[in-house]
Amino acid sequence: MRKFFPVDSLARDSRFNQITMRQSQADPRTMLVGDATKQPKTNRLTPSRPDASDRARGLMHGIFVGEIQALEGAGRTCHDFETGTEAPFALKLDMARQAWDEARHVEISVKLSDWMGTEIGQYAENTVLFEAACSTDPVLRLAGVNRALEGLAIDVFTTMKEFGDIAGDPYLEFCEDWMLADEVTHVKMGSDWLRRITENDPERRAKALEFQSVVDKIFSFGGTRSESQESPIGLARRFRELAGFTDDEVDDIAAVSLHALEERKAFAQRAQADAVEQFSASSPT
Amino acid sequence: MADPYKPRAPFAPWDRRQLPGLFDVEETARRVGNYKWAEMKLFEALGGWVATVPELDVKMRLGTHCYHHAWHAELWHKRLPELREMNPDRLTVPANDAMVRFIEALTEPEAPELTIEKLVGVYRVYIPHFISAYTFHMNNTSEITDAPTIRTLKLALIDEFDDWRDGEMLIQSLIETPEEVDRAAAHQARLEKLILEAGGIAGPGSIGGDAGTTEVN
Repeated sequence: MRKFFPVDSLARDSRFNQITMRQSQADPRTMLVGDATKQPKTNRLTPSRPDASDRARGLMHGIFVGEIQALEGAGRTCHDFETGTEAPFALKLDMARQAWDEARHVEISVKLSDWMGTEIGQYAENTVLFEAACSTDPVLRLAGVNRALEGLAIDVFTTMKEFGDIAGDPYLEFCEDWMLADEVTHVKMGSDWLRRITENDPERRAKALEFQSVVDKIFSFGGTRSESQESPIGLARRFRELAGFTDDEVDDIAAVSLHALEERKAFAQRAQADAVEQFSASSPT
Repeated sequence: MADPYKPRAPFAPWDRRQLPGLFDVEETARRVGNYKWAEMKLFEALGGWVATVPELDVKMRLGTHCYHHAWHAELWHKRLPELREMNPDRLTVPANDAMVRFIEALTEPEAPELTIEKLVGVYRVYIPHFISAYTFHMNNTSEITDAPTIRTLKLALIDEFDDWRDGEMLIQSLIETPEEVDRAAAHQARLEKLILEAGGIAGPGSIGGDAGTTEVN
């Protein structure tokens, strides 16, 4: 078995349909804004939304495939690096523990998806999470996966837990709460290891944090997650603090997310204007 | 209530533990170092294979079992300094070169169509050898002086038996044709020959014989 496994080789059964981040963002159904001249609408995932049921199912399926990739990423970190020379023994033990946690999360999200009336493969799988787990530097993997992506998972699970609470679904709320506890542990693991390994290597730490920022930005593209009510998913400040993020780091992520939301809105407005223009040009006068 | 000052036997009548054991401190440390190396290779392989198997149930089991064996490696790692080995890495080694060749052959399958080979290597060859070596060690070490090793062996064996059963059931559910029976058997035989050459996960004497054991009475 080779070291470093490419994302396009991830093994899946015939039910899965994989897409890239670019394809996902080009999907007009993911647009967050309607008429740009109107007041900004609330996009937060709540049971009162008319499309709440489908959105929640889609998000749960996204969690499900994300957990599969997180499981695969943690497993690969156990395998890809030589113990001692490339990665500390204790770090690999933590990654093995994370693999078990992610395997349980896959089990939980399969059962929750079934509970919510979703079938495996009903939605496409965006493979960007595993891409962040393909770095040849274990510190970059920790920054990209444990801090950026698992950080996003904290935000997602907090939103879903609240959704379950408001919707009166104790089954959903219960499970999300358990997964949230694990994710806080994983992010803290990433924060601790990042500090320990790069304690005397500021250049490597800076590189890792830069990589984390890139991943945060990618996952903020479209403003899917921010503190604005226009984003479906909020930023879970308290749980991020528990996971080892400083106030400044959370502020930075909040700013990046908000900026991404504004970029996406501008992009959507341009796309709408172009469409109107093209329609007008092609219509008989 | 009985008189609390009445002398009692230090060992209760039902406590039949004995002092003698086959392994001295040095030999125990050597075996534990081999166990740790073998468990590490196993959890690394299981973790690496997760991304390569398309079957969702297998993927999840491999992730779960990956942690079991990492935990065993951690337990052995912690036991080594208690056996006078202050540098655990020094004894974290394969029993011999044949053991290295066995691991190379075990971890060779990668393609998504080779799930049977991956599982057969682990659950029909490697884990049964853990079970036998651990059982031999548990049943032959001093029940009093080496109680900490026995405790770890017992904990590890619980996982080994559970994982073996999980793996065997997965294999049986995946094998659907006589050709697949042959595939599984051929791969098992190939690996079994290599681990035979190695003498087991702790080398010759893994489950007895003369190698490395001295009866202490």
